[in-house]
Amino acid sequence: MDFAKSDIQTMLLDSAERLLADSSGVEYWRERRHDPLGFDEGRWAQFAELGWLALPLPEAAGGLDGTIEDVALLNIALGKSLATEPYVSSVVLASQILRQAADRGRADALMGEIASGTLRVALAHQEPGADPLSTEAVVTVARRTADGFVLTGAKLMAADAPSAAQLILSARIEDEDGVALFLVPADADGLTVDAYPLIDGTRAADIRLTNVALSADALLIGSNRGEAVLDEAIHRAGVALMAQAVGAMEACIRICGDYARERKQFGAAIGSFQAIQHILADMFVATHQARSMLYHAIANSNRPAAERAAALSAARIVIGEAGQLVSRSGIQVHGGYGLTDEYAVSHYFRRLMSLEKQYGDLVRHTERFGDSLFA
Amino acid sequence: MELLHDPELESFRKEIRAFIDEVLPAEMKARQRTKVQNNATIQDQQEWMRILNGHGRAVAHWPKEYGGCDWTPQQLFIFNEELYAADAPEFDWGGTHMLGPVLYTFGSEALRERFLPMIRNGETYWAQGFSEPGSGSDLASLRTSAELVGDKYIVNGQKIWTSGAAHARWGFFLVRTDKTVKPQKGISFLIIDMASPGVTVRQIPQINGEAHLCEVFLDNVEVPADQLVGEPGMGWTYAKFLLEHERTTSSFIYWSKRELERAKEIARHERVGGRRVCDDPAYRARFARVQADLIALEWSVLRVLAHEETGFPEAAAASVLKIRGSELQQEITMLQLDALGAKSLRYYEPGPEAPTPSADWAEHVPGRTTIALITRAATIYGGTKQVQKNILAKLAYGL
Repeated sequence: MDFAKSDIQTMLLDSAERLLADSSGVEYWRERRHDPLGFDEGRWAQFAELGWLALPLPEAAGGLDGTIEDVALLNIALGKSLATEPYVSSVVLASQILRQAADRGRADALMGEIASGTLRVALAHQEPGADPLSTEAVVTVARRTADGFVLTGAKLMAADAPSAAQLILSARIEDEDGVALFLVPADADGLTVDAYPLIDGTRAADIRLTNVALSADALLIGSNRGEAVLDEAIHRAGVALMAQAVGAMEACIRICGDYARERKQFGAAIGSFQAIQHILADMFVATHQARSMLYHAIANSNRPAAERAAALSAARIVIGEAGQLVSRSGIQVHGGYGLTDEYAVSHYFRRLMSLEKQYGDLVRHTERFGDSLFA
Repeated sequence: MELLHDPELESFRKEIRAFIDEVLPAEMKARQRTKVQNNATIQDQQEWMRILNGHGRAVAHWPKEYGGCDWTPQQLFIFNEELYAADAPEFDWGGTHMLGPVLYTFGSEALRERFLPMIRNGETYWAQGFSEPGSGSDLASLRTSAELVGDKYIVNGQKIWTSGAAHARWGFFLVRTDKTVKPQKGISFLIIDMASPGVTVRQIPQINGEAHLCEVFLDNVEVPADQLVGEPGMGWTYAKFLLEHERTTSSFIYWSKRELERAKEIARHERVGGRRVCDDPAYRARFARVQADLIALEWSVLRVLAHEETGFPEAAAASVLKIRGSELQQEITMLQLDALGAKSLRYYEPGPEAPTPSADWAEHVPGRTTIALITRAATIYGGTKQVQKNILAKLAYGL
């Protein structure tokens, strides 16, 4: 165990600081949110130039074979700067699924495109009313045909799907147990993408599939492995998203500290009042504990599935609650200004709320972790 | 940064577990599990120190030259974790974690040779004379005076909240040796023989029926001048060093992990309305949150042990341990009590031996409330939670 940053990690964070400080934060975000995709293609290309899109990908696909710690550190930086790019869905989640695909050559080619910034892939797994932490409720069905498959079903709130050219869809293959994963072009016949923005400026979409005909090679992961592959990929995505939350909190407490030093009432900086100091102290405690819990989730990412899932849920509890405390207190410290679009703290509030509820919210993770303790 | 589990640490853990299993006497372990008092008896603490010292593991965290084990922070963490998990008596923290490090860092050769072996071998219980009736959170205002007359200090004053002073043969005290300088500069660190004439100890009856905390009255107590540790006027610096040196102790992480396991056992055993307490969704969710927070605290401890560079002063990370650690101690004892429900109201006379259990009154009932009540002190001693937050505001935000 080593908490010190390696040379590569230091370089990574230096490059992140340079790029994200140049085009970062509220001003950048405010311009981007009216773009159809919610982010700037030019900056995505810069992500590619800096090697960020290749970071966790395998060398065979032109990747850098970075560790989960490397990815987490980069995502802390992305979270600090409120980046809305679909980094996690393409580079972490989709590529983690692709690297498990049976057809290595094809998967490597796809990942190569992700690394170079020419392809984005989003996962569409969640279905209306389904438990986000289970595959049991997947009802999207794949019927085998002479040429391949025909898919019918509906997916809800697929993160980053509006900017993805390819979607990874979970579906049950008729007469088979388990869930399979398919790679489907976003413009396939019979597939509709109903896109909308989320409160934090990122994009999601509802996907409807009506007899979408696919060739046999659309099947990425068979029914026997789909659940396990999804589980691991969602774990890695969860770690990256929690890292973004930690970064957002760390930025938020600095912003609040600055505000408490500058804002004067009753003839004194509000930071001189103990009532404010204790709110800020609580925010620091929560943020520090949140980063600790990110480390816990990372440390358990190569453990057996049940242990890994318990660690992820435990981390989601601490980080989710910390995110609530930090973002809510952040507004309170700012008074009325905290509710304006002009002040950064309102943007961090929205981002932290969004991160808390994706891939299982606080309530669901609390339930799952509790069940693991008394199983 | 590289955080994945290290398999070598697991073999270390196995070795430690086997070692404790071999050397910890069964009756001592049983007493520790079922006692109806907050701390192990002084006899058990001392006997356990002697046993560990016989194996060179009484002061594992000290530098090797003074009897330490030269373990990594993670190994020390595992060692302590396993001690608590096995229901071993706790250390006499005053000696092993407070006075010891001050002595080997600042004490004269003579003081080291005289007292370090005593601490290692558990030959005395150490009283810690810091707080005074008028000096709690504002410790620097302390008034107990020590006046140098010839080769002796004449000590006058009063200390309070001194744990176990009634059983302590020796104590280390903060005393004022110079009233003419700024409060922090006039304080010295003095070792006092509690059997000296003029030392009077009064036990304070507590909220839980115990009387472990004491008042210590010092009336013209003569102390040989060579029992002043380090330099006169440096006592405040040493006391701060001692707190900084033992930054992770205040987390109570090992204790809390053991007690949360106990809460889990109780919640599995006790039943209400035909179901186990742990099957109540509200209880389970609350338990899950506490368990998750405790895991976070464990990582926060490891980060401080490894001196992680966070961009903030390390003392800020240490304050987190104290604030969250003390809150969790209280939340965990309340999880135990709430799992017991009304059964937690039964009063048990404090003592080292537990009453015989029955079908309705399991072994885990006596002692829980005794300990939960005194655990309300966790957010008060060693700097109240509010003082810690003041400190954090200064360290982390420059306020």
